[in-house]
Amino acid sequence: MEKLTTKDLLKNLKPNKDNKLSPQERAANAGRWIDERLGAAKGGRTFFNKIFPDHWSFMLGEIALYSFVVLLVTGVFLSLYFDPSSTMLTYHGSYKPLDGTQVSAAYNSTLAISFNVRFGLLVRQMHHWGADIFLGAIAVHMCRIFFTGAFRKPREINWIVGVTLLILGIVNGFLGYSLPDDLISGTGLRIMFSVLESIPVVGTHLAFWLFGGNYPGNGVIIPRMYMLHILVIPAIIAGLVGAHLFMLVRQKHTQFPGKGRTEHNVVGTPMWPGFMFKTQGFLFLTVAVLALLGGLAQINPIWQYGQYFPYKVSYAVQPDWYMGWLDGALRIMPSWEISAFGYMIPNQFFPSILFPGIAFNIFIIWPFLEARMTKDRDIHNLLDRPRDRPKRTAVGTGALAFFFMLFFASSTDVLANYLSVSLNLVLWFFRIATYVVPIVVALVTYKICIELQLAGKNAGRRKRFNVVIRTEEGEYVAQKSPAREGDMDVLSEHGEIPLELNDRVSHVIRQSADSIGVESKKSKTTT
Amino acid sequence: MSTEQNEHHLKESEIEDPQSDERLRLLAKDPKQMEILIGILFVVATIFFVVMMVVYVKGSQTQLEGGLMAAGFGCLGVGMVAWGKYLMPKGPFVEERHQLASSKEEQDAFADVLLGRGKIAIARRSALGKLLSIALGVFGIFTLGPLLRSLGPNPDASLKKTAWKKGIRAVTINGRPITVNDIAVGGFMTVFPEGDEGSYSGQTLLIRAGSDNITTMSGRESWGPEGYLAYSKVCTHAGCPISLYQQETQQLLCPCHQSLFNVLTGAEPVFGPAPRPLPQLPLYIDSKGFLRAQGGFSYPIGPGYWEIGS
Amino acid sequence: MDWTIFLFIFIKLNNLKFIFSTALLLSLFIAVLAGFADSASNAASNSQSSTSQMPTSISHVSASTTTSMATSSTTSVKSVGTPTAKQSSVSVGPLLYQGSSVRATQSQINQGKVLFIENCSSCHGIDASGSVRAPNLVGLGPATIQFWVTTGRMPLSNPIIQPIRKPSRFNSSQTLDIVAYVSSLGPGGILIPNMNGVNSASISDGASLFALNCAGCHTITGAGDALASGAYAPSLHQATPTQVAEAIRTGPANMPRFNSGNISDAHLNDIVKYVTQGIQRPNNAGGWGLGGVGPVAEGFIGLLIGVGLLVLASLWIGERD
Repeated sequence: MEKLTTKDLLKNLKPNKDNKLSPQERAANAGRWIDERLGAAKGGRTFFNKIFPDHWSFMLGEIALYSFVVLLVTGVFLSLYFDPSSTMLTYHGSYKPLDGTQVSAAYNSTLAISFNVRFGLLVRQMHHWGADIFLGAIAVHMCRIFFTGAFRKPREINWIVGVTLLILGIVNGFLGYSLPDDLISGTGLRIMFSVLESIPVVGTHLAFWLFGGNYPGNGVIIPRMYMLHILVIPAIIAGLVGAHLFMLVRQKHTQFPGKGRTEHNVVGTPMWPGFMFKTQGFLFLTVAVLALLGGLAQINPIWQYGQYFPYKVSYAVQPDWYMGWLDGALRIMPSWEISAFGYMIPNQFFPSILFPGIAFNIFIIWPFLEARMTKDRDIHNLLDRPRDRPKRTAVGTGALAFFFMLFFASSTDVLANYLSVSLNLVLWFFRIATYVVPIVVALVTYKICIELQLAGKNAGRRKRFNVVIRTEEGEYVAQKSPAREGDMDVLSEHGEIPLELNDRVSHVIRQSADSIGVESKKSKTTT
Repeated sequence: MSTEQNEHHLKESEIEDPQSDERLRLLAKDPKQMEILIGILFVVATIFFVVMMVVYVKGSQTQLEGGLMAAGFGCLGVGMVAWGKYLMPKGPFVEERHQLASSKEEQDAFADVLLGRGKIAIARRSALGKLLSIALGVFGIFTLGPLLRSLGPNPDASLKKTAWKKGIRAVTINGRPITVNDIAVGGFMTVFPEGDEGSYSGQTLLIRAGSDNITTMSGRESWGPEGYLAYSKVCTHAGCPISLYQQETQQLLCPCHQSLFNVLTGAEPVFGPAPRPLPQLPLYIDSKGFLRAQGGFSYPIGPGYWEIGS
Repeated sequence: MDWTIFLFIFIKLNNLKFIFSTALLLSLFIAVLAGFADSASNAASNSQSSTSQMPTSISHVSASTTTSMATSSTTSVKSVGTPTAKQSSVSVGPLLYQGSSVRATQSQINQGKVLFIENCSSCHGIDASGSVRAPNLVGLGPATIQFWVTTGRMPLSNPIIQPIRKPSRFNSSQTLDIVAYVSSLGPGGILIPNMNGVNSASISDGASLFALNCAGCHTITGAGDALASGAYAPSLHQATPTQVAEAIRTGPANMPRFNSGNISDAHLNDIVKYVTQGIQRPNNAGGWGLGGVGPVAEGFIGLLIGVGLLVLASLWIGERD
């Protein structure tokens, strides 16, 4: 089979005397038509030649991208059937345990999507799983960027865009799962009112404006959230995703150091066709995983929860995972609030407004913070190995541990129940461990990084082990085993470190070392 | 870094001899076999989708459809990736990176355009610019002020008021008034002020913590007749309705963030994040045995906010 | 200080939950070493003592008692007589059922006494008047006794914070014998609720009442959850209709007591129907129910399986050098 290069292709595409055009000719004609109007060929070629590094960790962001694609498509499907209205009506649908009860139109239509619309429940669950995975993938992707230093100059703007996407994703996720007006999401909405209310000076105004009055408002909150959820925020996210990718193409990918890889090139697979096929396959795989979860693992079974009423509640109410750290922060906050001159900064302000505000601001300014601390303002296209930046890595794992602890703290009740431990003890554990664990994790990470760096120098070399000898007098003496080539502390191939053995026992050591075969392998009689 | 490695560009002209260039080799050892394999995957995917379509038309079943869709797209995904990974030139290819920043001359030229022409445009007509700013500023104030303000009312007394007043009867969600024998010792009920059933602010936990009068704190001697105690159901932490009454330990637990309140001491918080006691509702029992409020709650209900003390 | 909690954790450690348990245990020691008194549980035990004066309060075995009860470790209950033996007996004993004039027979009482002495008297005393270890049972009524015995929570071999559900040691007629014996010792209490109306009850009213009165502790899916001070609201997935009704009426342990002025008999039937038909047979139309604990489980599945699978996929698609 002959390989068809572009040159050959063009050669074949010369005007044909027959009226019949081959498919290639038609394609070429179409291409020419577009190029004559848009000049797309030049840019298109550059685009198709763009090189993508092959390392697997560069695919993590694509999980988020493709989850977003699935979210858009499934979201359009759902919007065809969802009725964003708080109007109360009597339910007479196919879910019998709720027959004859008062439900809102929003809840009613969500039940209809779940039970009456063909494909509806699958799409609804894919949408919800998609949100969980979208944000999960963003978090994992962000970790990769952070720990490898990919946010450094010239990519600070893209880092900020990424953090903004994370925030918008969290907000839109919350808005989305609040729409069905079920018992659990309604409780979350009430907490959100309390959180807004807690902002000093303007808090109550914001909360009243958004909800159309004092809680539970006058029925405007669901249509308002719906509009934000399906139009405003997705549009901003889509725009920012576009900007994210545009900057990626413009600045070209980072890459790990390695053979042939420099600050001035990118090594990998070109966009067309290799990468295009792989990434298209990855889109399919993302759809597959979401369909798998959406079809087989039930998520947010609102029919079991029932319609929300402000005086009803279920225990074990948690937000979706990406809000979990905020819920955890609310739970472990001590019962403090500031009250002076007739005004109050209430308890929930600190964990739910101040803390995430600080956290996200640190995320956003991190590239500049690090540049200031390291005084490194050069352009970096080659990535760091995490071990080579022990301080950054330690900060990152510490922060991760902190958020993980908060996340787990949001399920104190479930953990206490699951482990049959007192709820009070679990809460106290998290009140302490949330601060202790990150410090320990950071210190251990730092140590591991240093060790790994050292290990790099001694790659493939052994630690020299000790031999414990019982002397004739019955005394036990520990000595290093005779040095061999390949030991970590043997400096050169030939130059052995002189053995500083006690004369009295040296020959015994040598003898026993020989007899137990120390030279060839480690033995259990030595420690 | 060595430039020797960078000589391979992804330019067609540089691939002099496609036969000998290592990078144009395929990763697959046996491309024909791989092709067949991928083909089978695509065929299987088609079958899955056809079956899915049948399931849909026959009446839809979530698990089957989800499983079939996952299997179908799984086959497609694996096939596509394998196509891209094993049946394409394995590379690696190299792309040169060009300096992102423009040259000094270009930067200067741009600054000239911006500032030079800008001077002509703006500097000589600064008054116009100011007027424009004022006009847009006023519009900005409009959008951030009255426009936003019309979204909803300003915070008002509704934050502090409930429908509980002197003499109002406690009723169930269905409007049935509660009499003194309705609740057993160790029992509780969610009640509302009569005429305001189902309201958020009026919801109240009516607990019968004993059979004798209970004084939760000094000054509240008459508030708990015959063991009945009434507290706002709205948590003072984040506003969740509290309905976890532990009758042996006489505690109320909030389901959202696990604040714990002691029923016998005026629902003072004993654990968790809640900073203030649940407001207590003073009760009395009228001559017919109905439970009535002596007045409103002891304190504004619900979570804290800026103006709560004013 | 609830030291038995630690004991309890160790027992639980033998289960598969070792990772979280170990982490939790370590931190519990940190918490104790750091001198954080468990203020809430102290407050709880204070209030407990103040409420124990109430006549009908079933204050359960104090958790601070570490002496193990001398219960017969064998479950060899002598099955004296058969139900047919009762037919000839004269009805002289107490009423057992709500809305029924059937009385306990003397032979039931006699057999119940044998079983009670063998299995219960070591803590509750031969006359069921209680001891330092266990409360008085006289006057609690048939429903209370039947609930604790049929749910296997009594007899209890080790005094722990809150007995857990286990298979009952007695069959239903033996249980009734014990109920008959204890009820014959003194009048009062709550009769075993009549479940005849459950079939015609309204499941949707039950769902609504459940959300208002029960979901706060048992969760809306009936999965149960941990309460404060070592207590917990048990899962409702194994409860029988009678047990659900008995629990509502008698308020075992920390559960509030709902009498007919609070939840009418008709509403009781609604709730029972919803629990035994709605909650115990949940409509998991979406697939695997994940234990009905909501977003916590969903988050774990989404991150571990969802993101996990896709990261594995990217490991295959990409290179690892």
